[in-house]
Amino acid sequence: MLLDVKNLAVSYGKNPKPTIAGVSFDLNDGEILAIVGESGSGKTTVIRAILNVLPGGGRVSEGSMVFDGKNLLELDAAGWRNLRGKNISMIFQDSGNMMNPVHTIGKQFVEYIQVHSDLDKKSARAMAIEKLELMNLPNPENILNSYTFELSGGMRQRVGIAMAITFQPKLLLADEPTSALDVTTQAQIVGELMFITRGSGAAMIIVTHNIGVASYLADNLMVMSGGRVVEYGKTDDVINRPQADYTKTLLASVPEIGGRRYV
Amino acid sequence: MSEIILSVEHVTKKFPVSGGRFLTACDDISFNVRKGETVAVVGESGCGKTTLLKAIMNMQKPTSGKIIFHGEDITQLTGEAKRQNYRRIQMVFQDPTAAFNPKMKIRDIVCEPLLNFDLISTSDVDSKARELLTQVDLPADFVDRYPNNMSGGQRQRVAIARALALEPEIIACDEATSALDVSVQDTIIKLLVKLQREKGITYIFICHDMALVSLFSHRVAVMYLGNMMEKLDGDKLDAARHPYTRALLKAVFSTDQEKNQYIGILPGDIPSPLNIPSGCPFQNRCEYCQERCQKEKPSFVEVEPNHFVACHYPL
Repeated sequence: MLLDVKNLAVSYGKNPKPTIAGVSFDLNDGEILAIVGESGSGKTTVIRAILNVLPGGGRVSEGSMVFDGKNLLELDAAGWRNLRGKNISMIFQDSGNMMNPVHTIGKQFVEYIQVHSDLDKKSARAMAIEKLELMNLPNPENILNSYTFELSGGMRQRVGIAMAITFQPKLLLADEPTSALDVTTQAQIVGELMFITRGSGAAMIIVTHNIGVASYLADNLMVMSGGRVVEYGKTDDVINRPQADYTKTLLASVPEIGGRRYV
Repeated sequence: MSEIILSVEHVTKKFPVSGGRFLTACDDISFNVRKGETVAVVGESGCGKTTLLKAIMNMQKPTSGKIIFHGEDITQLTGEAKRQNYRRIQMVFQDPTAAFNPKMKIRDIVCEPLLNFDLISTSDVDSKARELLTQVDLPADFVDRYPNNMSGGQRQRVAIARALALEPEIIACDEATSALDVSVQDTIIKLLVKLQREKGITYIFICHDMALVSLFSHRVAVMYLGNMMEKLDGDKLDAARHPYTRALLKAVFSTDQEKNQYIGILPGDIPSPLNIPSGCPFQNRCEYCQERCQKEKPSFVEVEPNHFVACHYPL
C-alpha cells in the first residue's frame, strides 16, 4: 500500500470544530483516486494535508497518514524536503500562477531540478527538455526561454505537469488541474494525465468538481460535502449505484448531452 | 414559430492593435433571435462570443453591420434613445460577486435600475424589492442583506432579480452559471426556464459547456475564431455536421462510462486571432481538411431547414 490515510481531521486556529474530519482512504501503486464535491466541501484541504502545506494555522488534529511506510505526521523539515517534489508532487489549477512571472520557465525548471539532484546546469536543462517533450510540447527550447504569460493556458498546464513528473514521483496530487481550461484543452490534458499515470505507474489523487472527468479517470471515487466523506468506493459503484442521497442529487444535476431537457 | 425579435446582420468587430494591424473578434456574424426562445452562443475562450454580446448590449459599436431590434438599428442610437434602449435588453454577468457594489444592500441593488428610469418612487423601493426577490425564489427579508452575506447561487439570483426589474424583453447571460457549483447551476437554469415560461423572456446565453446548453436552449450557435461555424436546434445536437461542433460534443466528459469511450481529443491550440488563416478558420485542427479548405473560406449555408453550417464538406 502506497498511502494509508486513517480518520484524518484538520483544524484551523483556535476553532475547536475541525474543518474536515473522519477522512479515511488508501491508495495502491498506480491507482487513481478522485475526490469530488462542491466548493467548500474540504476536498482541497485533504490533499494539502497530505503534503503538509495547509494555509494559515491549519494543522492535522487527528488521525494518521502513512506514505510508503513513513509516518507523514512525524517528518522533520529535511524529511519533507526529500519527499515533496520528488516522491510526491503537485499539479495546480493554474500552473502559471505557481511560477514566478519575472523569471523564465527554464530558469525555474532548472532550479527545481538542481534542488532535488546534483546535476549540473547543462544536464538539468537537458532533463527539462526531455520532460517537456514527453508532454507533447513543441519546441521545448523555446518554452524554456519563455515567461509564463507568453504561453496559453493549456501549454502552461503541460509545463506544470512536466515539472511534476520530472522525478517520477510515486504519488501525484492534482488540484483542479483542468478547471481553468477550455473544453477541448481539458480533453487533451485529461488524456495526457491518463497516459502519464498509466505509463509510469504513478498513483494520483485528483481533486475536481467535474464529475465527468472524475469518472473517466479514477479507479476510486470519494464524494465530500461539508468536510465529511459522504461516499467512497469503486468509481463504477459510486456512479451507477450511489447509496447516499447527496451523491444521488449531485449526479442528477450533472448536465448530459442527449439527457434531460427543460424546454 | 414565434416572431423575430432581434436580428444581427453581418456584424464585424475589429480592434486596432500595434503595428497598424487589426484583431478580428467577430467576422460577419448574422443570426436571428425569436421571441421567447433561448439562443445559446457556444465557443472557447477568444472566439468572440463576449464581443458579440457587447455589440448586442450596445456597449460596443461594431465596425460594420447592423443589429435590428424593433425595426431600428440599435447600433446607431445615441443619447437618450440609446439609454431608453437599455431598458429592453438587460444582462446577467458571470461573476455575481463582482457585479454588485459590496456596500449596497440588496434592496437598493435590485431597485437601482427602476430608480434610474424614474419608474418607482423611493418609498416603494422596499415592497418592490421584496416582490422581485420572491420572483427568483429568495426569501423576501434578504432585502436587508449585503451581497457578501450570501452564497454564490443566492447572489446570482439577485443578479437575475435586478435584470428582471425593468421587465426587459431580452436578457443576455454571459457565462451566468460558470462560477457556480453543479447543483446550484441546475437550480439557476430551472429558474431561468420558469421565468421564461411565465414572462416570455428571450435569453441570449453565452456558454462554453455544450452539455449545459443542451439542457435548455432552443437554438445553439457555435463560434470559432470570430466566425459562426454552425447553428442548429438545441434538441438536435446529435445531428451536428460541422467538424468543430462534433469535436466540442466529443470533448464533454460524462458520468456515463459508455459515453466516455467516445471522448475525442482535438489536437492543437486555437491560432492567434491576429493571423487567422485564409480559407476556413478551423483548417489546421480539422482532420477532414482538404486543399479547398485552405484557399476558400466556406460560406454559412442552410443544409437542412433551420440548420446552418459553414463547411465545404459537412459531415
